[in-house]
Amino acid sequence: MTSESTLFSNRWLPILLVAPFMLLIVLFFYVPIFQAFYWSFFLEQPFGGGSMFVGFDNFARVLSDREFWQAGWRTIIFMVTASSLAVLIPLILAVAADRKIRLSLPARNVLVWPKGVAGASIGVVFAFIFNPFVGILAPLNSISPGIWAPGLDGLDAFITLIAAHVWGGIPFNFVILLAGLQSIPRTMHQAAAMDGAGPWRRIFDVQLPLIMPQLFLTLVLEFTESVTSAFALIDTITKGGPGGATTLLVYKIYVDGFSGYDLSGASTQTAILMVFVILLTAAQFLFLGRRINYER
Amino acid sequence: MIENARSLNITASIILLIGMVYISGPLYLTLTTASHSYEFMLRNGLAWYPGDQLLANMARVFTETRIPIQMLNSLLVALGNAAATCILSFLSAYAIVYFRVRWAGFAFALILATIMLPLEIRVITTYQVASNIFSPLNALLDVTGLNGLVAQVFGAPVHLEWSVLNTHFGLIAPLVAHGTGTFLFRQFFRTLPTDLFKAARMDGAGPIRFMFDILLPLSRTSFAALFVLTFLSGWTQYLWPLVGASTPDMQTAVVGLARLVPDAEGTVPDFPMIMAGAVIVSLVPLLMIALLQRYLVQGLVLSEK
Repeated sequence: MTSESTLFSNRWLPILLVAPFMLLIVLFFYVPIFQAFYWSFFLEQPFGGGSMFVGFDNFARVLSDREFWQAGWRTIIFMVTASSLAVLIPLILAVAADRKIRLSLPARNVLVWPKGVAGASIGVVFAFIFNPFVGILAPLNSISPGIWAPGLDGLDAFITLIAAHVWGGIPFNFVILLAGLQSIPRTMHQAAAMDGAGPWRRIFDVQLPLIMPQLFLTLVLEFTESVTSAFALIDTITKGGPGGATTLLVYKIYVDGFSGYDLSGASTQTAILMVFVILLTAAQFLFLGRRINYER
Repeated sequence: MIENARSLNITASIILLIGMVYISGPLYLTLTTASHSYEFMLRNGLAWYPGDQLLANMARVFTETRIPIQMLNSLLVALGNAAATCILSFLSAYAIVYFRVRWAGFAFALILATIMLPLEIRVITTYQVASNIFSPLNALLDVTGLNGLVAQVFGAPVHLEWSVLNTHFGLIAPLVAHGTGTFLFRQFFRTLPTDLFKAARMDGAGPIRFMFDILLPLSRTSFAALFVLTFLSGWTQYLWPLVGASTPDMQTAVVGLARLVPDAEGTVPDFPMIMAGAVIVSLVPLLMIALLQRYLVQGLVLSEK
C-alpha cells in the first residue's frame, strides 16, 4: 500500500477508528508504565496517604535488598532453563511431526491441547501429580524418604515449575516451528539428497538453518512469556517456597505490592523488571536478529 | 520422503509418542483422580485407572463451590475479550493500512509495543489505574494548572473518581489493550491485492462502504482465528482476575479453582474434588480447541508472520 491512489484521504475518520483502541492502550498500558517509573521516585503511602519525592532512595533500598537480587537471579535462571527447554522440546517434536509418518496427524492434534488449559489449572494439576505423598514420585519416597520433596527442596520445586511451564508452552512453539518446517520447499530436500546428504544430515544442514526466523521468534517471545507465565504456576504450585527458593521477581512484586502494601518498592521493582525485559529483547534483536537470513 | 529413512521414521515416531504422553498424561491423571473418592486417593495415591465417582465429585463442585457462577464470569470475560479485541483491532488496523495519514506508523508502533510488556509485569500500577480510571485525567488537570483555575472559579478542584475494579468491564479492558490483533489484521490487509481497492473506488465505494462490503467479508477467517485465540487467552487469565475482582462471585473460574487448594500445610487436600473442578474449568476451552482447531492453528501462525 505505497501508491498514493490506493489510500483514502479522509482526515477525521481514521482518528475516529483508532481512538477507542488507543484510549484503552494509553489507559491500561502507557499510564501504568509511566506510573511505575513515577512512583519509583516517590515514597507512596498505602490507601492514599500522600506521597513524597525521595529521588533515588527507592532504588537504593531495592538494590541493597538481598532478596531482590536473589529473586532477580532466580528469574534469570528460570528464563534461561525454562525457555530454552520450551523451545528445544517443541523443535524436536516439530521435526518429528514434519515427517510423513502415521503418528504425525494425531500428534499435531494432541500437542495443541495445552493452549486450552489455564496456567493456574495445570499448576493445580502438577502440584497434585508431583505431590510427595500421593503423587507420581511418591513410591520413590517410600524406597528412600526425602528423595522427592518439593515442599522442602528448592531444586525439586524448581523442576516442577519448569516441567509445568514447558507443558504449557508446547502448543505455540510447536505450531510456529512446524509451520516453518512445512514451508521449506520440497526441492530443497531433493537437491540436498542429490548432493548426497542423508536424512539425518538434512535436518541439521537444511531444515534448521531454514527455520532460523521461526526459532528466533519463538525464543524472543518465550523469554517474555517465561517471566509472565511463571506467576500462575508459582502461585498454584509452590507459593514462592520452599524458603523463597521459587520466588521470582514477578511473584515478589505481587507479594510486596498486594500483601505488603509496599507500593513504592513494588513500583521500583516493576520499573527495573521492565527495563530488564526491554534491554533483553533489544539485545536479542541486536545480537541474534542480525545474523538471521530471512531470504529463502 | 525422498528415500526410505526407516531409522529416522522410527525415532520420530518414538519422539512423537513421548510428546503425546507428556501432554495427555497429566490430563488423563486429572480425569482418573477426579473419578475416585477422597479415601481411595489417600489409600492408593495416584489413580491409574478410572473409577466411578466422577459424577459425584463433579456434583460436589457444583453444589459446594462457587465455580458455576465463576464459570459464567469466565465466559463473559472470554467473550468480551474476544469480541472487543476483534472489533477494535479490525478498526485500528483498517485506519492504519487504508488511510493516508502521517501518524499511521507512529500509531502502529505504539500499539505493537504492548506485546513487549505483558500485564503480569505492570500489574501493580494497572491495578491503581483500574481503581480510579480518571486518575490520569485528574493528574493532568493538576499538572497543567487547569485545576487551580477551576478551584478559583468554582471553589473546588475537579476530582473525578470511577473504579472499575470488581466489574466485568474492569476484568476485560486491560486484557484488550494488546497489540496482537491489530498486527494480525494489518498483515492480512497487506496481502490483499490493491486492485481490489481501486475497483471499489472506481465503483464509488467510500471508506465505510469499502469496510463493510468488501473488507469485512474477506476477513472472516482472520476474525475466527483471532476470536478463538483471544477467547482462550481470556478464559485462561489468572493474575488479572485474581487482583481485579475481590469477591468470590466476581472471580473467574480459574481463580476459583486455584482457591480450592487449601493454604494449610500438612493435610492432604481433597484432590479428587479439585481435579473434578479442573476438568470442569478446562472443558469449555478444550471443547473449543477440539471443534475449532483449524482456526486456532491459523491464528497462532498468523499472529507471528
